[in-house]
Amino acid sequence: MAGPARAPLTPFLRAGSRDALRGSETAQKKAVLVFDGVQKVYRRSGGTDHHVLRGVDLEIERGEFVFVTGASGSGKSTMLKLVYRAEMVDEGRILFCGRDVARLTDDSIPFLRRNLGIVFQDFKIVPTWSVAENVAIALEVIGLSSRLIRQRVAVALERVGLSGRGGDRAGVLSGGEQQRVAIARAIVGEPALVLADEPTGNLDPALALDILGLFEEIHASGTTVMFATHDRTLLDVRQRRILVLDEGRCTDVHTGLDHFGDELDSDLDDSAPRAIVAPTRLRRVG
Amino acid sequence: MSGSIERAKRGLLAEWRLHALSVVSLAVAFVCLGAALLVVVNLHELKERWGKTGRASVYLKDGAAPAQVEALMVALKGTPEVRGVRYLSPQDARAVVFGSSGGDATLKNLPQEAFPASIEIDVAPEIAEAEVQGIVSKIASLPAVDAVETYGTWTARLGSVLHGGTLAAAALAAIVFGAVLAVVGSTMRLALNRRRTEVEVLRLVGASDGFVKTPYVLEGTFQGALGSTVAVGILAFLFFFIRSRLDTELTSLVGLDLTFLPPLVVLGMVATGALLGAMGGALGLRRLTTV
Repeated sequence: MAGPARAPLTPFLRAGSRDALRGSETAQKKAVLVFDGVQKVYRRSGGTDHHVLRGVDLEIERGEFVFVTGASGSGKSTMLKLVYRAEMVDEGRILFCGRDVARLTDDSIPFLRRNLGIVFQDFKIVPTWSVAENVAIALEVIGLSSRLIRQRVAVALERVGLSGRGGDRAGVLSGGEQQRVAIARAIVGEPALVLADEPTGNLDPALALDILGLFEEIHASGTTVMFATHDRTLLDVRQRRILVLDEGRCTDVHTGLDHFGDELDSDLDDSAPRAIVAPTRLRRVG
Repeated sequence: MSGSIERAKRGLLAEWRLHALSVVSLAVAFVCLGAALLVVVNLHELKERWGKTGRASVYLKDGAAPAQVEALMVALKGTPEVRGVRYLSPQDARAVVFGSSGGDATLKNLPQEAFPASIEIDVAPEIAEAEVQGIVSKIASLPAVDAVETYGTWTARLGSVLHGGTLAAAALAAIVFGAVLAVVGSTMRLALNRRRTEVEVLRLVGASDGFVKTPYVLEGTFQGALGSTVAVGILAFLFFFIRSRLDTELTSLVGLDLTFLPPLVVLGMVATGALLGAMGGALGLRRLTTV
C-alpha cells in the first residue's frame, strides 16, 4: 500500500521574503499557525493512554502574541513540540505558513525550524561557546556570509541588551543573560514565529518580567510570539490572547482567566509576589 | 565547509584528552599493522633477491666421459642466459667442503665418491625463475648429468612463507580496521554525549544532518590520519634503531639489507587511517540525537 504523500523538500520561506510578507496586507491577515483537530496521545508504561491534546483547533495570525497556559503536564510543551516537529500529531494537522508540519519529510524539518525561533526554560545554549557563536549558529546553518552574520548577530545582541558581550563565554553568564542569548539566537534569523517554552521558569520574578518585556519588544517589531507559561503573574501583566490547556482541551480566552475559577488557579503558579506585577486586572469578555 | 572545520577544531581542542587517547590507541593498532607489512615487504625483497640469484650446480655421473663433459661445457657457454661456467672436479669439491667445514675429521674420512664432479653455472640475474627451471630441465636430460640443483627449492619455500606472511598481514589488517572503526566510533559517541547540548542546539536552529555530522567525521578523519602517522613514526624509529644494531649480522645471514616501508605504502597507511577514521566517525553518529 502506498504511503501518504510527502511534502517536497523546499524551504518554507526564502531568505528576505519575510520582510516582504510583513508589508503585505494579505500576508498579515493570514494565519501563521493553524491547529486543526489535533490529537496527541502518549502511551503510559501500564498500557493506558494519556490524551494530552484532544481535538485542539486554533489559529494564530501573523503578528499576534499568544500565551499558552495550563497546569504542569497539561500539554503546553507538547503543543510547541508538535509545531517544531519534535513530536508528531496522532490525528489532525498543524499548518505552519500553510504547510502541514506532520507531512514534512525528515530532510525538510531543518527548513521548518529555520523559520522558527525557539526559546526554552533551560536556555539550551552551548556554555563553551562565546555569546556571539551561540547566536551566530542560527545563521551559519543557512549559510550566510560571515560578514552578514557578524552584522546581524550584533543587531540581535543589541536588541536583547547584550551589546558588546559577544566575546564572553556563554557559560559564565547569569541565568537572565543566558536566556537573553537564547532569545537573541531565536530572533536573529527573523523567524515567522517565536516559540517560548516556559522561558522564565528558571528565573526569579523580576527577571521573568524583564524577559517577558523583551518578548513584547520583539513582538512589537512584528514577530509572532507563542509564549507557554504556567506563571499566572505573567499573564496578568498585559491584556493578551491566552490559550488555556486543561485535560487535553484548549480554550481560547482572549483576556483574563477569571472564569476558569479556583480549580485552574490552584494549578497555576501564583507564588510570584503580586507587588511586582502590573496592577491592571484583565477584562472578562464574552 | 570552513564552518565545519572550525567546529571540528573547536571540538578537538575542547576534548583534547579524549582525542589524544584515541590517537594513541589507533597508533598502537597501526604499529601492529605496519610491523606486519614491514615483515611482508622484506620477505618479498628476499624472495625477489633469491629468485634472481641465478646459480645452479650440475652434478655429473661418475662414469661421464671427459669428452661428454667438455661438450656440455661448450654447450653451456654457448647458452645466452648463462654468464659463467666452471668445472669442479671431485678433488676440488672435497677441498671446498673440507675448507668450509674447518677441517672436520668426519668429513675428512668420507670417501672420494661422496664428492661428485660438477659444473657450476651462473645464470644472468634478470632471468626469471621459470626460465632457469627450463634450462635446468634441459640440462638434466643430458646423459652425462646425474642431477641439477638450484635455489628454486629455497625460493619456493620462501614463497610459501611469504604467502603465509601476507595472509597473516591481511588478517591483522582486518583486525586493525575493525579496531580503528571501534575506537573512532566510541570516541565520537563519547564526544557526542559530552556535546549533546551542542547537537540539540544545532537541531533546533535547523541544522541539516550533514551540518551536524560533518565536524565529527572531520574529527574522526584527523584522528585516523594522526594515529597512522604516529604509528609510521614509531615504526620508523624502531626499524632504524634495530637495523643499526643488526645490519651486518642480518646481511650476512640472509644476504639482504632490510628495507623500510616504501613511500607509497606509508602514504597508503596514512590515507587508510584517515578513511577509517572518517568511517568510524560516521558510524559512531548513526544514532545521532534527534530533537
